[in-house]
Amino acid sequence: MPSKTETPSSPTGASGSAASGAQSALVELVGAKKDYPLGRTVVSALRGVDLVVRRGEFVALAGPSGSGKTTLLNLVGCVDVATAGTVRVDGHDTGRLSEKALTQLRLEALGFIFQSFNLIAVLDVFQNIEFPLLLQGKLGKGERAERVRSIVEKVGLTQQMKQRPAELSGGQRQRVAIARALVTRPRLVLADEPTANLDSETGERIIDLMRELNHTEGTTFLFSTHDPKIMTHADRVVHIADGRVLDAAAGHA
Amino acid sequence: MGTFSTLVRMAGRNLVQGGRRVVLLGMAMVLVSMLLVLLDSLAAGLEASMVNSATTLASGHVNVGGFFKVTSGTASPVVADGPKIRAIVEREVPELDYQIDRVRGWARLVSERASFWGGLLGIDVEEERGLRSVLQISEGSFDALKQPDTILLFEQQAKRLEAKVGDTLTISAPTMGGVNNTVDVRVGAIAKDVGFMSAINLFMPKATIRQLYQMKPEATGAVQLYLKNEADASGVMERLRPKLEAEGFRLMDLDPRPFWMKFDTVTGQDWVGQKLDLTTWREEVSFLLWILTGFAALRWLLLGVILLLVVVGIMNTMYMSIRERTREIGTMRAIGMSRGRVLGLFLLEALALGIGASALGAGLGVVIALSVNAAEIKIASDAFMAILMNDQVYLKLTVDNVVFAVALITGISVFAALRPARRAARMRPVGALHQVG
Ligand SMILES: Nc1ncnc2c1ncn2[C@@H]1O[C@H](COP(=O)(O)OP(=O)(O)OP(=O)(O)O)[C@@H](O)[C@H]1O
Ligand SMILES: [Mg+2]
Repeated sequence: MPSKTETPSSPTGASGSAASGAQSALVELVGAKKDYPLGRTVVSALRGVDLVVRRGEFVALAGPSGSGKTTLLNLVGCVDVATAGTVRVDGHDTGRLSEKALTQLRLEALGFIFQSFNLIAVLDVFQNIEFPLLLQGKLGKGERAERVRSIVEKVGLTQQMKQRPAELSGGQRQRVAIARALVTRPRLVLADEPTANLDSETGERIIDLMRELNHTEGTTFLFSTHDPKIMTHADRVVHIADGRVLDAAAGHA
Repeated sequence: MGTFSTLVRMAGRNLVQGGRRVVLLGMAMVLVSMLLVLLDSLAAGLEASMVNSATTLASGHVNVGGFFKVTSGTASPVVADGPKIRAIVEREVPELDYQIDRVRGWARLVSERASFWGGLLGIDVEEERGLRSVLQISEGSFDALKQPDTILLFEQQAKRLEAKVGDTLTISAPTMGGVNNTVDVRVGAIAKDVGFMSAINLFMPKATIRQLYQMKPEATGAVQLYLKNEADASGVMERLRPKLEAEGFRLMDLDPRPFWMKFDTVTGQDWVGQKLDLTTWREEVSFLLWILTGFAALRWLLLGVILLLVVVGIMNTMYMSIRERTREIGTMRAIGMSRGRVLGLFLLEALALGIGASALGAGLGVVIALSVNAAEIKIASDAFMAILMNDQVYLKLTVDNVVFAVALITGISVFAALRPARRAARMRPVGALHQVG
């Protein structure tokens, strides 16, 4: 199975040696397994995944339905923990963290973009984007407004600041979601099929926007997709099938 | 700070988004708070009327009455040495506002048209401060009772006797010796009814009653203590008992009945001479306390129903709302909202609903109570008039009762939201990522 496996553009400029690669690894999965209990049996959603995502990478996760993409993103996103193996995110072994610490890690280091946008219906665009900053509680009112305004400008929604999600198109909602994911300047943004609910043209524009933010902000992206056209935008495509990563090299040509 | 105001805003908007379900629940809570305020103010009004009637017509806050038995088979409501007791009270009760003493009797009042038995109360107009302020004289003047052989009638009594100011009536009473004594009295004043007890109480100068029963000038019926704070009554009574015993008085055991119900008991007892009987106003109107008890029971019943209604309503609404908002909760958790804040968000919703609905309900209750009072609705039925001890519907609003209603409803709604909110807080963020369809 052919795949596009470019050398990632690392912010440290390092390339080649396994040692420096490991150093700049933002995400590292070693033998990660995930079983779901299903009645009396168990479903093995991931059957031992080894994967490294380096800082600054723009990585696509491809595979058929039920292959384990969402499960893998859940583990990396610290919303679930592996049944076996280790998942290291930003230097933390997630299996060893408490629920509280996982929440904190999600808040401080990660951003999420969802397939169906998942904005908070009762908050307007500005408030939705400001929400993670409020949860962090690190910035004052003025600084928060400044942050929100600059990211809103980047996603091109300056005119829609006071609108509620229900008043926006799908593409606009996903832009809000992107802005919300990026406003805290996370090290890693995870996106589970971010374009699946959009028409292909809008989907491509969304990916372009993500790519652009990947360049300008240096944010690492890991997103899943079914769409081959979307995959072409990635630095690297990780293929997954039946709970296993097909490209064993996981990054190196 | 910023987070909190955003949570408040979200809670408020979520309630608005809740639509008909929330509106119905809110309306029920408004209604229930309103009822609570009205019932409490009715009970408070009733109690106030009772205290008022009781403590001006028939009792002080604390009373030192008693019986004198010439032979063991008789009993008179007489305290032989009034001035001595008053001196002890003066010395031992710093809570005292003022004290009076009244001569007691039980006699038939006769006009040319009709007659009835009543409780005679011999008073000194000069010292009856409370009575003067409570009585509304519709004919004649209270000060007319400074003259000897006069009487004050209540309107219902005057109507029964077909008497007016200036008319002469006859009082006829059996004396200690067993003979019937009579004395003629002139109607000096007619006063508006003060509830139920104005049917049987007959006020006249002390001297007239003493003359009727041939009592000594220092003899009286009961010393009545009015305290600065009515709530101190029981405490003062308990303290006064040993003091009086130390002064050589014999005391009757505490008997929670009005004095006129104790005659049979005392007559049957095997002692002679003087015994004092200490009571508070509650004992003197104890035969009416079942009304207060009934109201209290009704109130507890209502509180129970309210509790159930609000708890079930809130829990049901919350669980439904949580089910509908599973994805939103998962999203907020994924983004990094802590369990505590999710819990807080749902509790805030219950708090907002509780405060909003109960404040509105209590406000409505206050408005209704004020309009009912302003309308001066006369009670048509004599039975109800007797029960309510007032000739018109009176709802006594107190800040305490209004605050209680709001706090109770709000507290219950937050309490009921605890379990659903905890379930929401325990929801896993995974739910947000696993897409449906
Ligand atoms: N909560 C769960 N309980 C039981 N089984 C689950 C659960 N979540 C996922 N699975 C199973 O794990 C396997 C991997 O599911 P996953 O959602 O990760 O696949 P996916 O690649 O994201 O699929 P899709 O492209 O349809 O989103 C599937 O067989 C799925 O049925
Ligand atoms: Mg999936």
